[in-house]
Amino acid sequence: MQEMEKVMMKGSAPLDVDPGSFSFVQVDQEKCQACGTCVDVCKTGAIQAQGAEGKSKVLDPAACVNCGQCLVNCPYGAIYEEVSYVDAVFAALKDPNTVCVSMPAPAVRYALGEAFGLPAGTHVGGKMHAALRKLGFKFIWDNEFTADVTIMEEGTELINRVKHPSHHAPLPQFTSCCPGWVKFVEAYYPELIPNLSSAKSPIGMLGSLAKTYGAQQTKTDPAKMFTVSIMPCIAKKFEGLRPELAASGHRDTDVTITTRELAYMIKKAGIDFKNLKDDPADPILGEATGAATIFGTSGGVMEAALRLAYEVLSGEKLKDVDIKAVRTHEGIKSASIDVPHFGKVNVAVASGLDNAKKLCDEVKAGKSKYHFIEIMTCPGGCINGGGQIINPSVREAENGHSKIFAAINKRLAMKAQA
Amino acid sequence: MSEQMNCTRRDFLKVAGAAVVVAAVAGAAPTLVTEAHAAELDLVSQRQSGVYAADANPKLYNLRKSQDNPMVQKLYAKGGFLGDGPCGHVSHELLHTHYVDRSAALKALKAKGIKLKA
Ligand code: SF4
Ligand code: SF4
Repeated sequence: MQEMEKVMMKGSAPLDVDPGSFSFVQVDQEKCQACGTCVDVCKTGAIQAQGAEGKSKVLDPAACVNCGQCLVNCPYGAIYEEVSYVDAVFAALKDPNTVCVSMPAPAVRYALGEAFGLPAGTHVGGKMHAALRKLGFKFIWDNEFTADVTIMEEGTELINRVKHPSHHAPLPQFTSCCPGWVKFVEAYYPELIPNLSSAKSPIGMLGSLAKTYGAQQTKTDPAKMFTVSIMPCIAKKFEGLRPELAASGHRDTDVTITTRELAYMIKKAGIDFKNLKDDPADPILGEATGAATIFGTSGGVMEAALRLAYEVLSGEKLKDVDIKAVRTHEGIKSASIDVPHFGKVNVAVASGLDNAKKLCDEVKAGKSKYHFIEIMTCPGGCINGGGQIINPSVREAENGHSKIFAAINKRLAMKAQA
Repeated sequence: MSEQMNCTRRDFLKVAGAAVVVAAVAGAAPTLVTEAHAAELDLVSQRQSGVYAADANPKLYNLRKSQDNPMVQKLYAKGGFLGDGPCGHVSHELLHTHYVDRSAALKALKAKGIKLKA
């Protein structure tokens, strides 16, 4: 086990492992204080108090969607990650025959700076690209580019569904970029699978484009490419290992690491992150728009998709791109957007699987009035993902709490003796 | 006494926790847990503000619609790599996927009497 940015990490898993056969988060029984925080935070019920002491355990991988909300909210750092590919990435970076490709998600750049003392929310995209280059990545490609591509694919799919809804492609269409949510549908609401957009997530698209289009454009042998997905998310490790994601003829994504693991690598390499000069991504698969960067927050995919759908459905230019009606960071938000020459587009945005469940039940009952629904597993979206830098205030409670627990333990012990 | 011992630490906290927490951090804010939750929301909204500020900042992103991205246009251009457009033939091969019904294992769990939240 290795500690990375306040989280304990186990080693790598075989690349052909069935990601459904284990849970990517585990509870260290020695460290668990049975406070129940994780049990409350988990919206699937996969983590539960067990045994006489009531310590927590992830019951079964079938129930867990690997979101890591339990992990980032545990006041005692008792929950660890089962899989870390940091060693594999360092090895690939050293190997002269391997061409390393970086693929960071939008939300990473709004939290990474926190690991280096910058305020939460600071956009460190330029420094991140510079750090990746210093680490030895040959191609600084960026998942924000494929967030734009996702809008083209998923937005076009939506427009097709609105025009000709069918059995295979019914309305409402659900977003499919959040891997915790996708697994949730597959396990808990399989009857809604046809409602999920068939578009891959942005990282699914970047992996397959890197080893086809990217290889072609840069005249690189795709067999030598090593694609590293850098995510605010633990569930993306599950997604990266899905056997079906090999459209390029190779593994589309070789390995997945989190924001925390990237921060760890930057520190380990002795890079002075704070003083790095901003560096752009390599354009072929790196250039991006504002519509892509907002994928990082709940409501962002919806707003980005509407910026396209509005223009396609109305045939007119969208003048004010700020669609504030779909901006939110808690609960469920719904909106009805007036599109000239079309009518109303009804949309809903939700984060947190308890909220998702409400919308799923509506769709299942045939009572949903929406065309398009965006769901993110983590409350607030990827910026609050399970792979992000730990919120210091979650662990600050530790000091206070430890004393409290000590006091409670003493009282329990005294009562037991009495 | 035996009743006390049957109650797990988690149950104990659930019942007595709030009061004990307040008592033990005398001098600190009275509702520690609520404060931590507020701080969490605060962090999320700070990161979120960062996102919307970047979207609106032409120095960081000079375009704001995916369809205006020149590299996206190059990708979909006639004769280009995805020349048949979004949701076209090549897109379907490379950029779309299918999903797996994973409900059987979950049903088996529930049949064992395990209660889940969804
Ligand atoms: S939040 Fe941490 S300490 Fe509390 S029950 Fe869960 S694993 Fe144990
Ligand atoms: S990773 Fe998510 S689904 Fe799995 S136990 Fe933790 S909170 Fe629950």
